[in-house]
Amino acid sequence: MAETSEAKASTSPPGGDAGGEEDKRDERMLECNICLDTARDAVVSMCGHLFCWPCLHQWLETRPSRQVCPVCKAAISRDKVIPLYGRGNTKQEDPRNKRTEPENTSAFPGFSFGDGFHMSFGIGAFPFGVFTSTFNFGDSRPSAAPRGTAQYDEEQFLSKIFLWVAILFVLWLVFA
Amino acid sequence: MAAMSPSERRLQKELMSLMKEPPPGVTVDGDQASQNLTLWTVHMEGVPGTLYEGEKFVLQFKFTNKYPFDSPEVTFIGNNIPVHPHVYSNGHICLSILTDDWSPALSVQSVCLSIVSMLKTTAGQFVLC
Repeated sequence: MAETSEAKASTSPPGGDAGGEEDKRDERMLECNICLDTARDAVVSMCGHLFCWPCLHQWLETRPSRQVCPVCKAAISRDKVIPLYGRGNTKQEDPRNKRTEPENTSAFPGFSFGDGFHMSFGIGAFPFGVFTSTFNFGDSRPSAAPRGTAQYDEEQFLSKIFLWVAILFVLWLVFA
Repeated sequence: MAAMSPSERRLQKELMSLMKEPPPGVTVDGDQASQNLTLWTVHMEGVPGTLYEGEKFVLQFKFTNKYPFDSPEVTFIGNNIPVHPHVYSNGHICLSILTDDWSPALSVQSVCLSIVSMLKTTAGQFVLC
């Protein structure tokens, strides 16, 4: 018993620092050659080089006519890479069949804040809006609420707000 | 802090490793680079035993947001531009890995090494471009 524990002690590196260093080297072994992060949806080329599939896919798209391994320039293609499934990966889904997110090329001149939020302004079918609101014959809209009720006040308030919004919009159109 | 884009993440990693283990004669201006990750200034010393011994050069790296899929734009800046057949007087460098032969597995460090090695070649060893 004593012997085995001694053997263990001698094989394990003394101190925590050396262990950390070794861990770091192990991690670097599994880094994608493109993003330098630990490979996600890892694939390996025929020449043995490891990449994230999204990274490699983007590189193949960058130069579709000359698809070469970024590391050694050997020929490489979508069909000739091998996906790697580690133990933690239970689904074993081929990353090549996953939809790769299209790159965000902000071609549309709108407003975007960060990644998620996008806002844009436009005028849709502008003249028809006038007709539809002006020439509404014979539709039976509910009659206005009687004066003095809370609903009446609310309606007046809303119509004032819309009037001001419309005025501001017209001013903006004129001066901008 | 806003989430980093993939290109910024990679530049940050490269900056860390270049500051930690720079190739001989190469130093990166870490403060400037960490302020603006897309524009780096790298100082380079002429290699002893070559024409450029004792000289100091300044390189500028410009990265697009498509880095590392797009190559960086690398030029010599400042008033000391090396006199070399592959370096124009305006600082432009004629080096294949900066254009057609770029690969995302290359890095700022490997580009620096290539430029150091390019400056080591002596007359007769190169072809004009």
